[in-house]
Amino acid sequence: MKTRIPVAVAFLSGFLMIVAFFGSGEWLSMLTNEALRYMTIVAGFSLLLGVVSITQVSWGVVRKRGEDWPYKIILLIALAAMTGFGVLQGITGGTVFEWLFDKIQKPMMATMFSVLAFYIASAAYRAFRARTVEASILLVTAIIVMIGRVPMGQYIYEDLPSVANWIMMFPNVAVQRGIIIGAALGAASMSLRIILGIERTYMGRG
Amino acid sequence: MANQGNKGFFTRLQNVDRRVLFVLIFASVIVPLFFPLKLPVPVTPETREFFEAVEAIPDSSIVMLPFDFWPSTLAETEPMAVVGLRHLFRKNCYVVGLSNVGMGGPSIADRLLDSIGGEFGKTYGIDYVNLGYKANYQAVMLGMGERIEDIFPTDHRGTPLSEIPLMRRVPNYDSVSFIFVVSDNVAVDYWVGLVNSRFGVPMGAGVTAVMAPKSLSFVQANQLVGLMGGMKGCAEYENLLGYPARATRGMDSQSIIHLLIVLFIVMGNVGYFAAKRKAKVEG
Repeated sequence: MKTRIPVAVAFLSGFLMIVAFFGSGEWLSMLTNEALRYMTIVAGFSLLLGVVSITQVSWGVVRKRGEDWPYKIILLIALAAMTGFGVLQGITGGTVFEWLFDKIQKPMMATMFSVLAFYIASAAYRAFRARTVEASILLVTAIIVMIGRVPMGQYIYEDLPSVANWIMMFPNVAVQRGIIIGAALGAASMSLRIILGIERTYMGRG
Repeated sequence: MANQGNKGFFTRLQNVDRRVLFVLIFASVIVPLFFPLKLPVPVTPETREFFEAVEAIPDSSIVMLPFDFWPSTLAETEPMAVVGLRHLFRKNCYVVGLSNVGMGGPSIADRLLDSIGGEFGKTYGIDYVNLGYKANYQAVMLGMGERIEDIFPTDHRGTPLSEIPLMRRVPNYDSVSFIFVVSDNVAVDYWVGLVNSRFGVPMGAGVTAVMAPKSLSFVQANQLVGLMGGMKGCAEYENLLGYPARATRGMDSQSIIHLLIVLFIVMGNVGYFAAKRKAKVEG
């Protein structure tokens, strides 16, 4: 029963979505819309599950004075503050939640992301070596695109932006399309396996 | 450091202290902001196509603008949303905002819609609306094709959609003339794959620079009418619109940083090959 019900739900949901994509009709549209509403509700509960899980894990670490336990306390306080103010006062403009988000969370996230620029520059300088033919091609291409895609590029060589655009629109797109098609085929076959009940790892078993 | 002094010049060329590089990067970002070079920004075909497609939307059309980006990429994505809103409000389009990013998306949307809407004297609920966030973006995108009110019974401020004049005119994608996606994540793939392919709504996208190479394949396949790729794409769009703003100001810094990184890469390679050759000669 523990396996059959989830497999049946997965099959019916997947089958309905496939039929809805290709078919039409009032009843089908009604059914699909209801299923999509359920999906957003289930996704909402999965977020709640995530909150419960992170609280349990962090609280466990704090109680046992495990690794980095002071950070877990900060995490729990931040979680409680954001949830509390969000639930009590709302999350729109002028609320404490909004203030905390704008003044603390947003700058911290932007800072973390900005720091990447320094590490990327350092890593590129240390690791980007033309050791093989393939690495040399990559290196030359990267330099053309990096210079050709910024305003300074046309001062260095007038046609550099056109060469960079050509690289982006043709060799790059050809490779990207191959990756997209490959990933889509993989996703389609995995979806079929789930719908048909062959793939069951999402239930925590093989 | 003393040991490094004994090493050859070419070895040292490969091992410049990373703190030196960090200081140079920092200076390259900051200095041009105070002393701009004001380099002209050449326009790429994909940005021009995007701009022209938005320009071709009939005035007073209804346009959807998903704010699908995290606060971490605001430096790149916020100017895109701003320039998009300015273009749409200038054409008196009605803007339906929403976000598929729970953390921050709706409040960023609220702030930008109010601020840019205010510049053009627009009123919330009549000229623009913020639907907010609902989890599971695939279901949200598909569901809005049937009935937006089923997915978003209320807007971000908790007002039922039936009480919002603009939303009474927008039951689903049939009323939407264009979707102006601003995204820093895979959501843009789903806008293309689920909404453009199934419901046929024309769309263009502003994406971060790291996403642009992938998104260009959607442009070539005409699934996206055009693309703003990173801050550079946004600067191009700002200049086409005649509102040079934050992205344009960032172009000088970006030019110098790119040059600096290329210089260091070349330096590292010169050092690598010269040291290798020297070692070979010395046996």
